[in-house]
Amino acid sequence: MELFGFLGEIITDYTLRTVALGSAILGIISGALGSFAVLRKQSLLGDAISHAALPGIAFAFILTGIKSPIILIIGAAVAGWFGTLLMLSVIKNTRIKTDGALGLILSTFFGFGLVLLTYIQKQPQANQAGLDKFLFGQASTLLQSDVIIMGILGAIALVILMLFWKEFKILTFDPDFGESIGLPIRLLDILITFLLVIAIVIGLQTVGVVLMSAMVVAPAAAARQWTNHLGLMVVLAGIFGIIAGVSGAIISSVGAKLPTGPIIVLCISLIVGISMLFAPNRGLVWNWIRRRINRHRLHLEAVLSDLYELTLHHERRDHPHSVRALETMSIGGGEFVRNSLRELQTKGWVKNVSGDEWALTESGLAKANDLVKERQV
Amino acid sequence: MNDRNLESKDLSIEVADLTVAYGDKPVLWDIDLNVPKGILMAIVGPNGAGKTTMIKSILGLVKPAAGRVLILGKPYHKQRHLIGYVPQRGSVDWDFPTSVLDVVMMGRYGALGWVKRPGKKERDMALEALDKVGMKKFSDRQISQLSGGQQQRVFLARALVQEAEVYFMDEPFQGVDAITERAIITLLRELREAGKTVVVVHHDLQTVPEYFDWVTLINVRRIASGPVDEVFTDENLKTAYGGRVAFISHRKQEANEHVDIGEDRE
Repeated sequence: MELFGFLGEIITDYTLRTVALGSAILGIISGALGSFAVLRKQSLLGDAISHAALPGIAFAFILTGIKSPIILIIGAAVAGWFGTLLMLSVIKNTRIKTDGALGLILSTFFGFGLVLLTYIQKQPQANQAGLDKFLFGQASTLLQSDVIIMGILGAIALVILMLFWKEFKILTFDPDFGESIGLPIRLLDILITFLLVIAIVIGLQTVGVVLMSAMVVAPAAAARQWTNHLGLMVVLAGIFGIIAGVSGAIISSVGAKLPTGPIIVLCISLIVGISMLFAPNRGLVWNWIRRRINRHRLHLEAVLSDLYELTLHHERRDHPHSVRALETMSIGGGEFVRNSLRELQTKGWVKNVSGDEWALTESGLAKANDLVKERQV
Repeated sequence: MNDRNLESKDLSIEVADLTVAYGDKPVLWDIDLNVPKGILMAIVGPNGAGKTTMIKSILGLVKPAAGRVLILGKPYHKQRHLIGYVPQRGSVDWDFPTSVLDVVMMGRYGALGWVKRPGKKERDMALEALDKVGMKKFSDRQISQLSGGQQQRVFLARALVQEAEVYFMDEPFQGVDAITERAIITLLRELREAGKTVVVVHHDLQTVPEYFDWVTLINVRRIASGPVDEVFTDENLKTAYGGRVAFISHRKQEANEHVDIGEDRE
């Protein structure tokens, strides 16, 4: 009942509706483009772009004196793009490697952006307040006009992504091969980086420059856990982005007016944590269970074949052997020998002759024989 | 040298004065190479000799400082549809989320052109190629679950669907099992029977005479190039490998004793 009331509120309440819609757009775009960034091992590029965008936002405001979202977004995009190019040229022309160049550009631009923000705040103008929300994001300040701009830019980015889907796929998987069949790999590289810049700048007002990179990396990392299919991964990352974006933005705007960025990041981190642990095949829990089952099977087989070896030393196949002998034979202590024998007994492959003395049964003998043959192959 | 008497219409690859440098360090120096149609050719040379760079610069992936490359008589960029390429297996991330069939279909992307998605025709071609390399039953498998040999076969299948005239393969035998090696060499021979030219970067000197018709020895410069029984001599090998080569062949040496590197160069 309460939930329905809340959902109804989202649809009717102007602020909530705007916030939810804006966060959904930001979530799906950053999730989709972030998937390619992660697969191209450029996860941290998003961090550099978002931090580099801050001085652009400040500059756009200083130059125009207007706080219109489109102007700030253009400023952010230009600075983010410029930072990216500068970083790539540092990597190309100096001995500084990617991680060093990232740190350098990120901190320089961000520091410069903070200085500009402080400068703006000291200006005697009425409307300078509010630029600092770009640091950690404030979803409740989203206006319908902001969301429309986010929607248009995001839609353009998604359409381009779908249009050149197979080209981007080959750029990500095997750029050398792509170039050999005549694809303009460098141009595609620039195009997809540009799309990433768009994805980041449309999220800045909501999530903030400090934590925006989480929305690039986390949904993609979570999605990768659940699927081995690129298309599905991008869709899933988009969905995870929407879930985190919407829930984070709503929590922050209805609650204690917390900055949205940190709460969205906490939401997506929860999704990442669940995915890392519980996703089938790649999840840690799954792996742990699989390893346990494997180890268990190996223990059983080891005891069975050890007993088989002892049996071969004797004329009589049902000659019993002591647990101690088996324990000495087994590698790694052999604490598991007794348990394994008991389990082999329930399978009918060994029998307890007396006390600690065990022997193979007929079917156990055949099974061990198969096992040894299998290993020889 | 023997490739001089070949006429241009018989040549699949013509390389003249090819020079590649990284910074001021030359990687390939003034390479001339004429490869006739319908042969299997190995490129051999020590580590760092520029074997991979040579293929990449012929394919336009590395920009040469100087030189000219013709494929079947025309510049490379006009002949892309006639070229198949198998990069080194280790050059891609095999944990990429995609299936075997999907990777093989990438071989059709060049013919498909922009924006268009692969359809049933591409699917059928990819399955047929996978069948040829003995990987059809793995078509739906995620590529991270493949062994090294299987990865190599997938790359070969991708090159097969390119339906090229000239194939470039970078170390296709690197780290594959014996069965895969046999499968690959059978496939290469089939390509040759079909009149295709196949250029292979190769590192196992022992198998050169058995697998290939032609061989090019390089070590930054071209040491020799021609039919295996003429140029795959101890002397040329010593020149290419700087005398460190432990491989001594049991082939007839006498016929080749006059082959001199000085005569090789034009």
